[in-house]
Amino acid sequence: MKHWMFNCKEVTRMLSDSLDRELSFHQRVGLRMHLMMCKFCSRYQRQLLFLRETMHLHAEHSEDVEPSTTMPPEARERIKRYIHNVLDRPE
Amino acid sequence: MNPKNSSTDSPIINPETWVDHYGDYLYHFALSRVRDPSAAEDLVQETFLAALSARKNFASRSSEKTWLTGILKHKIIDHFRKKAKEPSVDNIMFGTEALDKLFDQKGQWKIKPAKWNADPMKLYEQREFMKVLNDCLSGLSSRMASVFILREMIGETTEEICKVLDISATNCWVILHRARGYLRHCLEINWFTSMSTED
Repeated sequence: MKHWMFNCKEVTRMLSDSLDRELSFHQRVGLRMHLMMCKFCSRYQRQLLFLRETMHLHAEHSEDVEPSTTMPPEARERIKRYIHNVLDRPE
Repeated sequence: MNPKNSSTDSPIINPETWVDHYGDYLYHFALSRVRDPSAAEDLVQETFLAALSARKNFASRSSEKTWLTGILKHKIIDHFRKKAKEPSVDNIMFGTEALDKLFDQKGQWKIKPAKWNADPMKLYEQREFMKVLNDCLSGLSSRMASVFILREMIGETTEEICKVLDISATNCWVILHRARGYLRHCLEINWFTSMSTED
C-alpha cells in the first residue's frame, strides 16, 4: 500500500526532482496535498524557483561584464598573437 | 560591428578583431561557468582556434558572437567531461549532512525556511547579492558544481548531463537536490536572514 502523506524531507526532494523530470501521478498528488498544508515546504518551493530564475539571469546576462571579470591583459595579448600567427600561416 | 559583404551571402569574418570585440564577453561567459580563471582563458583560446579552422563554414544565419558563443558552450561541456574523468578527492556525500540537519528524525522541518523578500530581477542587479551567490557557488564540491552549472547555466537536460559526466540519472537528481538545498541554505544565512532585520 502506497502512502499518500510525504514528510517535509521527502517533499524537498520531490520539489527539486520536479525541476528536472516529470513526477509520477502518486508523487504529484501527494506533493500537492502536502503543499496545501505546509507553508514551509511551499516557501522552499518558491525559493528553489527563485534560485533557478536567478541562475538563468546570471547565465543570460553575461553582457554585464564587471571589471573583475575582464580577460587579463597578458591573456588578451597572447591570444591576439596566437590568432595573428595562425592567420599568417600559409594554408 | 563587422562590415558585411553585400555581394555575397557570407559575411566577412575578421579574426584579428575577435579578441577586441568578443574576448571579454567570452571570457566572462566561460568564467561564470567554469569558475577557474586559467581554464576560462584556455577555453576562450580553444574557441578561437576552433572558430579559425571552421570559419569557412560560418553561415551568416547567426551573428559572429552567437556563433562563437555556441562553440564556447561546447568547449565548456567538454571541460566538464574531462574534469569528471580526473581522479578527485570530492566528497560524494557533500551536502547531505547540511540538508539532514534541517530535519528531525520524522522528516519534519527542524530549521524552517525563512521568509525571503526576493525579487530575482531586483536582486540580480545588486552586486552584493551576486557576490554572495558566487561565494555560495564556490562552496559546492567540484562534481556538484559541474552538474548544477550544466543544468542551470548551460541548460542541459539531466539525460545529457548523465552522458557527459558518466553518472546515473538517479545520481544526477540527488546531486541537484543537494546542490539546490545547499545553495538555498547558503543564501538564506548569508543574505536573506542577515538582511531581514533591516526590513
